[in-house]
Amino acid sequence: MRPRYKRLVDNIFPPNPQDGLVKNNMEQLTFYSLSSPEKLDRIGEYLYQRACRDLSRKRNGFVLIAMEAMDQLLVACHAQTLNLFVESFLKIVQKLLESTEPDLQVLATQSVIVRFANIEEDTPSYHRRYDFFVSKFSSMCHNNHGDDATKDMIRLAGIRGLQGVIRKTVSDDLVENIWEPVHMDKIVPSLLYNMQDSRYLKGMEPHSPEPGEEKNSPPQLAETCIRELVGRASFGHVRSVLKPVLKHLDLHNLWAPNQFAIHTFRIIMFSIQSQYSYAVVESLMLHLDENSKAEPKIRTSIADVLSKIIAIAAEESVGPSVLEIINSLLTQLRTSVGREREPGGGEEHAYQEALINALGEFAAHLPDYQKIEIMMFIMSKVPYIKQQGGMDDNLLQHMLLKSLLTVGRRYNSVSMNTTFPASFLEPLMRMSVVRDPDLRLLKCSRPDAIFARKYVPELFHCLVEGLRLENNTVDNVEAVYTTLALIAIELACDDVLPDFLNMILDIQTGALDKTTGLTAAQRYSLHAVAISLLVLLPHVVIISPLSEYAEKVVAARQEQDLSHLLPELLVGYEVSQPPPPGSPVPQAALIDRQALADCLKDAGLDSQHITSTNVVPHRHSWVESAGVTLKGSVTDLTNMELDSASSTPGIQRKYPEEELTFEAMKRVLAESSVVKREAEALRQKQLNEAFRATTFSELITNNTTSEEESLQTKLNELFSRMASGLSTPMTPSPASSHSSTHKHQQTAPVPVYELLFPELFAY
Amino acid sequence: MEDYKFLFKVVLVGNAGVGKTCLVRRFTQGIFPPGQGATIGVDFMIKTVEIDNEKIKLQIWDTAGQERFRSITQSYYRSAHALILVYDISCQPTFDCLPDWLREIEEYASQNVLRILVGNKVDREDREIPAQVGEDFAQRHSMYYLETSAKEAHNVENLFLQIAAELMEQMRFKELPRYEQEQAHSINGRTTAIGDSCCSRLS
Repeated sequence: MRPRYKRLVDNIFPPNPQDGLVKNNMEQLTFYSLSSPEKLDRIGEYLYQRACRDLSRKRNGFVLIAMEAMDQLLVACHAQTLNLFVESFLKIVQKLLESTEPDLQVLATQSVIVRFANIEEDTPSYHRRYDFFVSKFSSMCHNNHGDDATKDMIRLAGIRGLQGVIRKTVSDDLVENIWEPVHMDKIVPSLLYNMQDSRYLKGMEPHSPEPGEEKNSPPQLAETCIRELVGRASFGHVRSVLKPVLKHLDLHNLWAPNQFAIHTFRIIMFSIQSQYSYAVVESLMLHLDENSKAEPKIRTSIADVLSKIIAIAAEESVGPSVLEIINSLLTQLRTSVGREREPGGGEEHAYQEALINALGEFAAHLPDYQKIEIMMFIMSKVPYIKQQGGMDDNLLQHMLLKSLLTVGRRYNSVSMNTTFPASFLEPLMRMSVVRDPDLRLLKCSRPDAIFARKYVPELFHCLVEGLRLENNTVDNVEAVYTTLALIAIELACDDVLPDFLNMILDIQTGALDKTTGLTAAQRYSLHAVAISLLVLLPHVVIISPLSEYAEKVVAARQEQDLSHLLPELLVGYEVSQPPPPGSPVPQAALIDRQALADCLKDAGLDSQHITSTNVVPHRHSWVESAGVTLKGSVTDLTNMELDSASSTPGIQRKYPEEELTFEAMKRVLAESSVVKREAEALRQKQLNEAFRATTFSELITNNTTSEEESLQTKLNELFSRMASGLSTPMTPSPASSHSSTHKHQQTAPVPVYELLFPELFAY
Repeated sequence: MEDYKFLFKVVLVGNAGVGKTCLVRRFTQGIFPPGQGATIGVDFMIKTVEIDNEKIKLQIWDTAGQERFRSITQSYYRSAHALILVYDISCQPTFDCLPDWLREIEEYASQNVLRILVGNKVDREDREIPAQVGEDFAQRHSMYYLETSAKEAHNVENLFLQIAAELMEQMRFKELPRYEQEQAHSINGRTTAIGDSCCSRLS
């Protein structure tokens, strides 16, 4: 007498396999299993044995029926009794997978994915192992069957199988760890291999199948699967997923061209839990390190991928990881620069560009205060070489400054209304087309520009020093002029006006200084710059005596046939009667210190600074302060402003918004215990507010430091003046500036603004 | 009703085109597929053999020789009981690469894996590597050595049977866990350390 369970199992098989599972008898078997769950493991074992027998006798029809019965029992029965049954089930699945017939393999994977992966077992099976499944499914993913349809079918089955194993194991810590390298090294390349056959790489692989656009093509499914995998990865697992990815891309030469690499990393970045995304960047960076000896082309491509994904990570990056990333980028840059003189420098250059690009992308997605931090950080990496700077160092400087520029540009384009307009960087850009003197200029001006408001005098000094350099070209001078002009427009107010005037005088002194080795043309350029700035200044800060004086000087120069002392700047001045070099310029054509002081006095401003003839030591004190640490110098300069403010008690402050800035400074001082960054952010915010207020109230007070658009107009004028000045030696700026001033007068009727911005006005 | 006493995993490695797939096909299916294309990734075959009236199941993983699949193929070394390193006796470069392959095996395979050097294609007239050279190399690196021809079915059966016998011997000797049917949990193989392989000819 056969046991009851065996009879029940036997009964589900029809005499002829084509008839399929005997439904009624299957119901009986299911009922029996539910009512006597202790028999379930024996039922499973018996089904397995039958299936094995049928399999070895090639009676595949019966195998299918056994499988169907197992699937149904698996779904119907309850978790606590399922454990041993599952073992039998998996044994059949393995048996099917061992078969060479595609149909049976596909059947096996369907069972795994559809049934098994979705059932929940409450008793974990510690001993169950999946490495055969992972191995076999991975192998199926690489199937190369002669018939394309069969090939796709098996590959799909393989991917589905992997998906099933992942789903089954990934969430449960008690079962086998799917994140072990032994599994990941199979799963990941298998998925990638299928993905790379997709439309992104159409025609690149010799054996690419027809790229199916339908949802269930192997590439599509593989992509879905990898998204799922990456999405479930915890921090510790990110590395184990990425390692095989990088290796696969290496081995299949998928870095250059890098569409697929970019595609893959985008997928990873978008599916990974966002708090881990920077780990991806880190890994890629590490890979770059490891490949530091690879062809520049490969490295360029990797860096390019980096730049494409780095933005996604930036938003999540915090604290030290940011600087770490920046630091390794810069380190790469340095190594690359060191290599540039070796053959293949062009490609090396492309690599550097890619790195800088990545840096820029990264910075673009950071909050402003971090951008500033990054700029400071990069600056700190710039080697200061005065005497024995080698070629390499210069190049490195150049590259670093370029990165700085990139970061800076991002900074501005994101936050137009903070400190500088984007166009501020254009001259910087021009300067960065490096020749040595440019380097020096850029180096001086850039970090100071960040703190321009406080650093103005120092900045001037640097720029003026730059102007006196003997190897300046017209381009350099123009660039400095543009910078100065922009600073004037941006920052000019009563407080810094004396500094401006001092600076102008300094430029003139430089031009007159016989001890320097400047050419005549350079001297003329300096004169021209000085007068241009003098003309510009009164338009920014309305001081009519100053304006009158400036025009007087201009007129004097024109009358005395000294138009070469006016713009346009030329390389060689072909004046009809060039005065012999060193011949004194008539006093009337020079800007007179006392006259300037008088102008200031007339305007009711402090003229102490300007009257002091002892300018040079004064300057030096500023230079020294520049040498102090950042924090120290900020404090110093703020102190100085405090002093200068208190030294002019009798003067009524015209502009409340300046007071606000002043307040901000004071607050920064007061909160010295707060970490620098916070203070920085705070200051930034307040500057912001101040600037907004400035924009508004200055319109009312008819000042020209104005909103972005009018600033732009001004800039355009400046540039066009420089461009169009060729034909007319006399600067057209008074007229055009006047017109712009008029414009402001017209557009600034107080009542309108009161109506529009009542709450702002209360400010 | 199929049953087996032992399950062994055998992995074939070696340069592209030395005839790994053909060896496996010859052994498992008894055919010599002319114009066999390059293997993609890893291929899998199963064959049960009988030694001393014991059924032994051989899981044979046939890896791609091409360099670009190295990452996936290496991941299969680890669980192998036996590694068959194949070269083409009529192609010197495939022999010259053997040290590289040994390095890979050293790095990725288990310490005591059974290693067999196979010089394939002995049917070819244009032999470049004399049998003695191959054997010396095998001896130097503590490997078994065998020359085969998948085309003429020379030594192929012998190769796998000897591997199975050797592994079984080691299993018994070491009394290592067996892959027996009664142990319900061993639904598939387990990586086990296999005893030291000494150098001697298989045949």
